[in-house]
Amino acid sequence: MRDAAHDAAPVLGEAVVRDPTGLHARPAVKLTKLAKGFEATVEIRTGQNGAWINAKSPNAVMKMKAGYGETISVRAEGIHANSAVAALVGLIERDFDG
Amino acid sequence: MAPDLTRRLREEAVVRIIAHVDELTALDQAIGDGDHGFNMKRGFEAITALGDELDALSLGPALQKAGMTLVMKVGGASGPLYGSFLMAMGKAMTGDPLSREDFVGSLAEGVAAVKMRGKSEAGAKTMLDVLVPVLDAVTADDPLAAARQAARDGLEATRNMKATKGRASFLGERSIGHLDPGARSSALLVEVVCDVLEGKV
Amino acid sequence: MTDCVGIVIVSHSPDVAKGAADMVRQMVGEEVRVAYCGGDPSGGLGTDVAAIQAAIRAVNGPKGVAVLVDLGGAETNSEMAIELMADELLGEVVLCDAPIVEGAVMAATEASGGASLAAVRATAEEFLS
Repeated sequence: MRDAAHDAAPVLGEAVVRDPTGLHARPAVKLTKLAKGFEATVEIRTGQNGAWINAKSPNAVMKMKAGYGETISVRAEGIHANSAVAALVGLIERDFDG
Repeated sequence: MAPDLTRRLREEAVVRIIAHVDELTALDQAIGDGDHGFNMKRGFEAITALGDELDALSLGPALQKAGMTLVMKVGGASGPLYGSFLMAMGKAMTGDPLSREDFVGSLAEGVAAVKMRGKSEAGAKTMLDVLVPVLDAVTADDPLAAARQAARDGLEATRNMKATKGRASFLGERSIGHLDPGARSSALLVEVVCDVLEGKV
Repeated sequence: MTDCVGIVIVSHSPDVAKGAADMVRQMVGEEVRVAYCGGDPSGGLGTDVAAIQAAIRAVNGPKGVAVLVDLGGAETNSEMAIELMADELLGEVVLCDAPIVEGAVMAATEASGGASLAAVRATAEEFLS
Protein backbone atom coordinates (compact mmCIF):
# COMPACT_ATOMS: atom_id res chain seq x y z
CA MET A 1 0.00 0.00 0.00
CA ARG A 2 1.29 3.44 -0.88
CA ASP A 3 0.79 6.69 0.91
CA ALA A 4 -1.10 9.34 -1.04
CA ALA A 5 1.91 11.59 -1.12
CA HIS A 6 3.96 9.19 -3.22
CA ASP A 7 5.65 10.86 -6.18
CA ALA A 8 4.86 14.27 -4.74
CA ALA A 9 7.21 16.69 -2.99
CA PRO A 10 8.83 15.58 0.28
CA VAL A 11 6.49 15.39 3.25
CA LEU A 12 7.37 17.80 6.04
CA GLY A 13 6.49 18.03 9.71
CA GLU A 14 7.84 19.39 12.96
CA ALA A 15 7.63 18.93 16.71
CA VAL A 16 9.16 20.46 19.84
CA VAL A 17 11.49 18.52 22.16
CA ARG A 18 9.79 18.34 25.57
CA ASP A 19 12.31 16.43 27.60
CA PRO A 20 14.27 18.82 29.85
CA THR A 21 17.49 16.93 28.98
CA GLY A 22 16.85 17.17 25.25
CA LEU A 23 17.09 14.44 22.64
CA HIS A 24 19.41 12.21 24.67
CA ALA A 25 20.63 8.72 23.94
CA ARG A 26 17.54 6.66 24.69
CA PRO A 27 15.08 8.81 22.70
CA ALA A 28 17.62 8.94 19.88
CA VAL A 29 17.63 5.14 19.69
CA LYS A 30 13.79 5.08 19.77
CA LEU A 31 13.55 7.62 16.98
CA THR A 32 16.06 5.73 14.85
CA LYS A 33 14.29 2.42 15.31
CA LEU A 34 10.94 3.98 14.42
CA ALA A 35 12.36 5.62 11.29
CA LYS A 36 13.92 2.34 10.13
CA GLY A 37 10.45 0.80 9.93
CA PHE A 38 9.36 2.97 6.99
CA GLU A 39 10.09 2.50 3.33
CA ALA A 40 11.16 6.08 2.82
CA THR A 41 14.16 8.29 3.25
CA VAL A 42 13.55 9.98 6.57
CA GLU A 43 15.58 12.99 7.64
CA ILE A 44 15.48 15.34 10.60
CA ARG A 45 17.14 18.60 11.58
CA THR A 46 17.07 21.04 14.44
CA GLY A 47 15.02 24.17 13.75
CA GLN A 48 14.72 25.62 10.28
CA ASN A 49 18.39 25.92 9.47
CA GLY A 50 20.20 22.83 10.80
CA ALA A 51 21.68 20.33 8.38
CA TRP A 52 19.35 17.47 7.44
CA ILE A 53 20.57 14.19 8.82
CA ASN A 54 19.49 10.61 8.19
CA ALA A 55 16.95 9.68 10.88
CA LYS A 56 17.77 6.00 10.39
CA SER A 57 21.40 6.50 11.45
CA PRO A 58 21.75 6.07 15.22
CA ASN A 59 25.14 7.77 15.16
CA ALA A 60 23.87 10.83 13.32
CA VAL A 61 20.74 11.20 15.46
CA MET A 62 22.70 10.88 18.68
CA LYS A 63 25.21 13.49 17.56
CA MET A 64 22.44 15.94 16.66
CA LYS A 65 22.01 16.94 20.31
CA ALA A 66 18.64 18.71 20.00
CA GLY A 67 17.98 20.56 23.26
CA TYR A 68 14.84 21.19 25.35
CA GLY A 69 12.35 23.46 23.60
CA GLU A 70 14.03 23.13 20.22
CA THR A 71 11.97 22.33 17.19
CA ILE A 72 12.85 19.24 15.21
CA SER A 73 11.86 19.25 11.55
CA VAL A 74 11.08 15.95 9.89
CA ARG A 75 11.25 15.34 6.16
CA ALA A 76 10.47 12.14 4.29
CA GLU A 77 10.32 10.93 0.72
CA GLY A 78 9.12 7.58 -0.55
CA ILE A 79 6.29 5.10 -0.34
CA HIS A 80 5.68 5.57 3.38
CA ALA A 81 6.63 9.24 3.61
CA ASN A 82 3.33 10.41 5.14
CA SER A 83 3.21 7.69 7.78
CA ALA A 84 6.87 8.21 8.61
CA VAL A 85 6.51 11.93 9.25
CA ALA A 86 3.32 11.40 11.26
CA ALA A 87 4.95 8.69 13.36
CA LEU A 88 8.14 10.64 14.10
CA VAL A 89 6.29 13.85 14.90
CA GLY A 90 3.97 11.85 17.15
CA LEU A 91 6.88 10.22 18.97
CA ILE A 92 8.58 13.57 19.65
CA GLU A 93 5.27 15.15 20.73
CA ARG A 94 4.57 12.29 23.13
CA ASP A 95 8.01 12.97 24.65
CA PHE A 96 9.24 9.62 23.32
CA ASP A 97 6.65 7.70 25.36
CA GLY A 98 8.48 8.33 28.63
CA MET B 1 63.06 -39.53 21.60
CA ALA B 2 62.60 -40.80 25.12
CA PRO B 3 59.17 -42.28 25.69
CA ASP B 4 58.57 -40.18 28.78
CA LEU B 5 59.44 -36.91 27.02
CA THR B 6 55.89 -35.58 27.20
CA ARG B 7 55.71 -36.22 30.93
CA ARG B 8 59.09 -34.64 31.65
CA LEU B 9 58.28 -31.53 29.62
CA ARG B 10 54.89 -31.21 31.28
CA GLU B 11 56.24 -31.61 34.80
CA GLU B 12 59.21 -29.32 34.39
CA ALA B 13 57.24 -26.56 32.64
CA VAL B 14 54.73 -26.17 35.45
CA VAL B 15 57.45 -26.24 38.12
CA ARG B 16 59.41 -23.54 36.33
CA ILE B 17 56.35 -21.35 35.63
CA ILE B 18 55.23 -21.55 39.26
CA ALA B 19 58.77 -20.71 40.46
CA HIS B 20 58.67 -17.55 38.33
CA VAL B 21 55.08 -16.39 38.89
CA ASP B 22 56.19 -13.46 41.04
CA GLU B 23 58.79 -12.37 38.53
CA LEU B 24 56.30 -12.53 35.64
CA THR B 25 53.74 -10.66 37.73
CA ALA B 26 56.25 -7.91 38.55
CA LEU B 27 57.28 -7.54 34.92
CA ASP B 28 53.66 -7.40 33.82
CA GLN B 29 52.72 -4.91 36.53
CA ALA B 30 55.38 -2.58 35.15
CA ILE B 31 54.07 -2.45 31.58
CA GLY B 32 50.89 -4.55 31.41
CA ASP B 33 48.00 -5.40 33.69
CA GLY B 34 49.87 -7.70 36.06
CA ASP B 35 48.01 -10.91 35.28
CA HIS B 36 50.58 -12.74 33.15
CA GLY B 37 52.11 -14.73 36.03
CA PHE B 38 48.79 -15.99 37.35
CA ASN B 39 47.40 -16.61 33.89
CA MET B 40 50.39 -18.76 32.96
CA LYS B 41 50.21 -20.58 36.29
CA ARG B 42 46.53 -21.34 35.77
CA GLY B 43 47.18 -22.57 32.24
CA PHE B 44 50.09 -24.82 33.13
CA GLU B 45 48.32 -26.19 36.20
CA ALA B 46 45.46 -27.14 33.90
CA ILE B 47 47.97 -28.96 31.68
CA THR B 48 49.38 -30.71 34.75
CA ALA B 49 45.90 -31.82 35.68
CA LEU B 50 45.69 -33.73 32.38
CA GLY B 51 48.40 -36.02 33.80
CA ASP B 52 48.46 -39.52 32.35
CA GLU B 53 45.94 -38.60 29.68
CA LEU B 54 48.53 -36.23 28.20
CA ASP B 55 51.59 -38.38 28.87
CA ALA B 56 50.11 -41.31 26.96
CA LEU B 57 50.16 -39.23 23.77
CA SER B 58 53.12 -38.80 21.45
CA LEU B 59 54.60 -35.33 21.36
CA GLY B 60 52.57 -33.92 18.46
CA PRO B 61 49.09 -34.75 19.79
CA ALA B 62 50.24 -33.90 23.32
CA LEU B 63 51.31 -30.41 22.24
CA GLN B 64 47.97 -29.90 20.51
CA LYS B 65 46.07 -30.95 23.58
CA ALA B 66 48.24 -28.80 25.85
CA GLY B 67 47.76 -25.86 23.48
CA MET B 68 44.00 -26.25 23.52
CA THR B 69 44.11 -26.40 27.31
CA LEU B 70 45.99 -23.08 27.42
CA VAL B 71 43.47 -21.52 25.05
CA MET B 72 40.57 -22.56 27.25
CA LYS B 73 42.10 -21.92 30.68
CA VAL B 74 44.48 -18.95 30.62
CA GLY B 75 41.99 -16.10 30.37
CA GLY B 76 44.35 -13.50 28.92
CA ALA B 77 45.82 -12.92 25.48
CA SER B 78 48.68 -15.28 26.35
CA GLY B 79 46.19 -18.19 26.23
CA PRO B 80 45.44 -17.93 22.50
CA LEU B 81 49.06 -16.91 21.78
CA TYR B 82 50.78 -19.81 23.57
CA GLY B 83 47.84 -22.07 22.71
CA SER B 84 48.10 -21.34 18.98
CA PHE B 85 51.88 -21.81 19.23
CA LEU B 86 51.63 -25.28 20.75
CA MET B 87 48.67 -26.35 18.62
CA ALA B 88 50.39 -25.36 15.37
CA MET B 89 53.65 -26.98 16.48
CA GLY B 90 51.90 -30.18 17.49
CA LYS B 91 49.89 -30.35 14.30
CA ALA B 92 53.05 -30.06 12.19
CA MET B 93 54.91 -32.67 14.25
CA THR B 94 54.11 -35.75 12.20
CA GLY B 95 57.49 -37.48 11.88
CA ASP B 96 57.98 -40.65 13.91
CA PRO B 97 60.66 -40.80 15.10
CA LEU B 98 60.88 -37.05 15.03
CA SER B 99 63.83 -35.81 12.98
CA ARG B 100 65.57 -32.56 13.63
CA GLU B 101 64.11 -31.21 10.39
CA ASP B 102 60.64 -32.15 11.57
CA PHE B 103 61.23 -30.33 14.82
CA VAL B 104 62.55 -27.16 13.16
CA GLY B 105 59.65 -27.26 10.71
CA SER B 106 57.08 -27.58 13.45
CA LEU B 107 58.72 -24.80 15.48
CA ALA B 108 58.47 -22.59 12.39
CA GLU B 109 54.75 -23.41 12.15
CA GLY B 110 54.33 -22.49 15.81
CA VAL B 111 56.10 -19.16 15.41
CA ALA B 112 54.02 -18.38 12.31
CA ALA B 113 50.86 -19.11 14.32
CA VAL B 114 51.92 -16.65 17.04
CA LYS B 115 52.57 -13.97 14.41
CA MET B 116 49.15 -14.54 12.91
CA ARG B 117 47.29 -14.66 16.20
CA GLY B 118 49.05 -11.60 17.59
CA LYS B 119 49.12 -9.78 14.22
CA SER B 120 52.72 -9.03 15.03
CA GLU B 121 56.36 -9.59 14.12
CA ALA B 122 59.64 -9.53 16.04
CA GLY B 123 60.65 -6.05 17.23
CA ALA B 124 57.33 -5.11 18.86
CA LYS B 125 58.49 -6.09 22.39
CA THR B 126 56.61 -9.39 22.59
CA MET B 127 57.23 -13.11 22.96
CA LEU B 128 58.19 -13.13 19.28
CA ASP B 129 61.43 -11.35 20.19
CA VAL B 130 62.44 -14.60 21.88
CA LEU B 131 60.74 -17.13 19.62
CA VAL B 132 61.95 -15.74 16.28
CA PRO B 133 65.67 -15.73 17.21
CA VAL B 134 65.29 -19.18 18.81
CA LEU B 135 63.81 -20.49 15.57
CA ASP B 136 66.80 -19.05 13.70
CA ALA B 137 69.16 -20.61 16.24
CA VAL B 138 67.95 -24.20 16.15
CA THR B 139 69.56 -24.82 12.78
CA ALA B 140 73.01 -24.17 14.32
CA ASP B 141 75.52 -27.00 14.94
CA ASP B 142 74.76 -27.04 18.64
CA PRO B 143 71.07 -26.20 18.52
CA LEU B 144 70.34 -26.35 22.24
CA ALA B 145 73.22 -24.07 23.24
CA ALA B 146 72.35 -21.72 20.39
CA ALA B 147 68.67 -21.71 21.40
CA ARG B 148 69.52 -20.88 25.04
CA GLN B 149 71.72 -18.00 23.97
CA ALA B 150 69.16 -16.72 21.45
CA ALA B 151 66.45 -16.79 24.10
CA ARG B 152 68.60 -14.87 26.60
CA ASP B 153 69.67 -12.29 24.03
CA GLY B 154 66.18 -11.97 22.61
CA LEU B 155 64.71 -11.40 26.05
CA GLU B 156 67.33 -8.83 26.95
CA ALA B 157 66.74 -7.03 23.65
CA THR B 158 63.12 -6.37 24.63
CA ARG B 159 64.34 -4.11 27.46
CA ASN B 160 65.14 -1.22 25.15
CA MET B 161 62.29 -1.77 22.75
CA LYS B 162 59.20 0.39 22.63
CA ALA B 163 56.08 -1.78 22.77
CA THR B 164 53.83 -1.48 19.73
CA LYS B 165 51.61 -4.49 20.43
CA GLY B 166 49.52 -5.58 23.39
CA ARG B 167 48.66 -3.69 26.53
CA ALA B 168 52.21 -2.35 26.91
CA SER B 169 51.77 -0.36 23.69
CA PHE B 170 49.48 2.01 25.62
CA LEU B 171 52.59 3.14 27.50
CA GLY B 172 54.51 4.01 24.32
CA GLU B 173 57.94 5.40 25.26
CA ARG B 174 57.39 4.53 28.91
CA SER B 175 57.52 0.82 28.05
CA ILE B 176 61.25 1.28 27.32
CA GLY B 177 63.53 0.02 30.11
CA HIS B 178 61.40 -2.98 31.09
CA LEU B 179 61.71 -6.59 29.95
CA ASP B 180 58.60 -7.88 28.20
CA PRO B 181 56.75 -10.40 30.40
CA GLY B 182 55.69 -12.53 27.41
CA ALA B 183 59.28 -12.65 26.18
CA ARG B 184 60.32 -13.66 29.73
CA SER B 185 57.86 -16.55 29.90
CA SER B 186 58.91 -17.66 26.41
CA ALA B 187 62.59 -17.62 27.40
CA LEU B 188 61.67 -19.62 30.49
CA LEU B 189 59.93 -22.28 28.41
CA VAL B 190 62.82 -22.45 25.92
CA GLU B 191 65.11 -23.15 28.89
CA VAL B 192 62.76 -25.88 30.08
CA VAL B 193 62.81 -27.60 26.70
CA CYS B 194 66.63 -27.36 26.48
CA ASP B 195 67.09 -28.67 30.02
CA VAL B 196 64.75 -31.60 29.43
CA LEU B 197 66.32 -32.49 26.10
CA GLU B 198 69.80 -32.33 27.62
CA GLY B 199 68.68 -34.55 30.46
CA LYS B 200 69.45 -31.90 33.08
CA VAL B 201 66.07 -32.35 34.71
CA MET C 1 14.27 -13.56 16.38
CA THR C 2 16.83 -15.06 14.05
CA ASP C 3 16.17 -12.56 11.26
CA CYS C 4 18.29 -10.04 13.15
CA VAL C 5 22.06 -9.97 13.54
CA GLY C 6 22.99 -11.23 17.02
CA ILE C 7 25.11 -9.14 19.40
CA VAL C 8 27.79 -10.51 21.73
CA ILE C 9 29.50 -8.41 24.40
CA VAL C 10 32.88 -9.62 25.71
CA SER C 11 34.45 -7.69 28.58
CA HIS C 12 37.22 -8.44 31.07
CA SER C 13 34.63 -7.72 33.75
CA PRO C 14 31.38 -9.69 34.14
CA ASP C 15 29.77 -6.57 35.60
CA VAL C 16 30.71 -4.41 32.62
CA ALA C 17 29.48 -7.09 30.21
CA LYS C 18 26.16 -7.45 32.01
CA GLY C 19 25.78 -3.68 32.35
CA ALA C 20 26.37 -3.12 28.64
CA ALA C 21 23.87 -5.86 27.79
CA ASP C 22 21.33 -4.30 30.17
CA MET C 23 21.73 -0.96 28.41
CA VAL C 24 21.12 -2.58 25.05
CA ARG C 25 17.99 -4.34 26.29
CA GLN C 26 16.58 -1.21 27.90
CA MET C 27 17.46 1.19 25.10
CA VAL C 28 16.88 -0.95 22.06
CA GLY C 29 14.48 -3.60 23.31
CA GLU C 30 14.12 -7.34 23.40
CA GLU C 31 13.86 -8.00 19.67
CA VAL C 32 17.63 -8.10 19.19
CA ARG C 33 19.35 -11.12 20.68
CA VAL C 34 22.17 -10.08 22.99
CA ALA C 35 24.53 -12.39 24.84
CA TYR C 36 27.43 -11.40 27.05
CA CYS C 37 30.32 -12.80 29.04
CA GLY C 38 33.12 -11.47 31.18
CA GLY C 39 35.79 -12.74 33.54
CA ASP C 40 38.54 -15.33 33.20
CA PRO C 41 38.02 -19.06 33.89
CA SER C 42 38.68 -18.49 37.62
CA GLY C 43 36.26 -15.60 37.89
CA GLY C 44 38.87 -12.83 37.94
CA LEU C 45 39.22 -10.05 35.39
CA GLY C 46 39.87 -11.51 31.97
CA THR C 47 38.07 -13.40 29.24
CA ASP C 48 37.25 -17.05 28.79
CA VAL C 49 37.21 -18.71 25.37
CA ALA C 50 34.59 -21.27 26.45
CA ALA C 51 32.31 -18.53 27.77
CA ILE C 52 32.75 -16.49 24.59
CA GLN C 53 31.78 -19.56 22.56
CA ALA C 54 28.70 -20.11 24.72
CA ALA C 55 27.66 -16.48 24.19
CA ILE C 56 28.11 -16.71 20.42
CA ARG C 57 26.20 -20.01 20.40
CA ALA C 58 23.30 -18.34 22.22
CA VAL C 59 22.78 -15.82 19.41
CA ASN C 60 24.11 -17.92 16.52
CA GLY C 61 21.98 -17.31 13.43
CA PRO C 62 22.07 -17.07 9.62
CA LYS C 63 22.34 -13.27 9.65
CA GLY C 64 25.53 -13.51 11.66
CA VAL C 65 26.85 -12.13 14.92
CA ALA C 66 28.59 -8.84 15.77
CA VAL C 67 31.02 -9.10 18.69
CA LEU C 68 32.00 -6.11 20.82
CA VAL C 69 35.14 -6.45 22.95
CA ASP C 70 36.95 -4.21 25.40
CA LEU C 71 40.73 -4.68 25.69
CA GLY C 72 43.52 -6.73 24.03
CA GLY C 73 42.94 -10.19 25.48
CA ALA C 74 39.22 -9.96 24.84
CA GLU C 75 39.94 -9.45 21.16
CA THR C 76 42.53 -12.24 20.90
CA ASN C 77 40.36 -14.67 22.85
CA SER C 78 37.28 -13.81 20.77
CA GLU C 79 39.16 -14.39 17.52
CA MET C 80 40.37 -17.72 18.87
CA ALA C 81 36.86 -18.67 20.01
CA ILE C 82 35.36 -17.89 16.61
CA GLU C 83 38.03 -19.86 14.78
CA LEU C 84 37.58 -22.93 16.98
CA MET C 85 33.80 -23.03 16.47
CA ALA C 86 33.77 -22.35 12.71
CA ASP C 87 31.90 -25.62 12.05
CA GLU C 88 28.86 -24.76 14.09
CA LEU C 89 28.38 -21.13 13.02
CA LEU C 90 25.22 -20.47 10.99
CA GLY C 91 26.46 -17.10 9.70
CA GLU C 92 29.52 -14.91 9.72
CA VAL C 93 30.83 -13.69 13.08
CA VAL C 94 32.83 -10.44 13.13
CA LEU C 95 34.57 -8.32 15.73
CA CYS C 96 33.64 -4.63 15.68
CA ASP C 97 36.37 -2.07 16.23
CA ALA C 98 34.23 0.11 18.48
CA PRO C 99 33.90 1.09 22.15
CA ILE C 100 32.11 -1.73 23.91
CA VAL C 101 29.06 0.04 25.39
CA GLU C 102 28.41 2.61 22.68
CA GLY C 103 29.25 0.09 19.96
CA ALA C 104 26.83 -2.46 21.42
CA VAL C 105 23.96 0.05 21.56
CA MET C 106 24.66 1.29 18.03
CA ALA C 107 25.04 -2.22 16.64
CA ALA C 108 21.84 -3.39 18.30
CA THR C 109 19.90 -0.36 17.07
CA GLU C 110 21.03 -1.07 13.53
CA ALA C 111 20.35 -4.79 13.93
CA SER C 112 16.82 -4.15 15.21
CA GLY C 113 15.82 -2.89 11.76
CA GLY C 114 16.92 -6.17 10.19
CA ALA C 115 20.16 -4.71 8.76
CA SER C 116 22.95 -6.90 7.37
CA LEU C 117 25.99 -7.80 9.46
CA ALA C 118 28.14 -5.44 7.37
CA ALA C 119 25.76 -2.54 8.11
CA VAL C 120 25.60 -3.40 11.81
CA ARG C 121 29.37 -3.46 12.03
CA ALA C 122 29.72 -0.21 10.08
CA THR C 123 27.25 1.55 12.41
CA ALA C 124 29.10 0.36 15.50
CA GLU C 125 32.47 1.39 14.08
CA GLU C 126 31.12 4.74 12.90
CA PHE C 127 30.57 5.88 16.47
CA LEU C 128 34.08 7.20 17.01
CA SER C 129 34.67 8.40 13.48
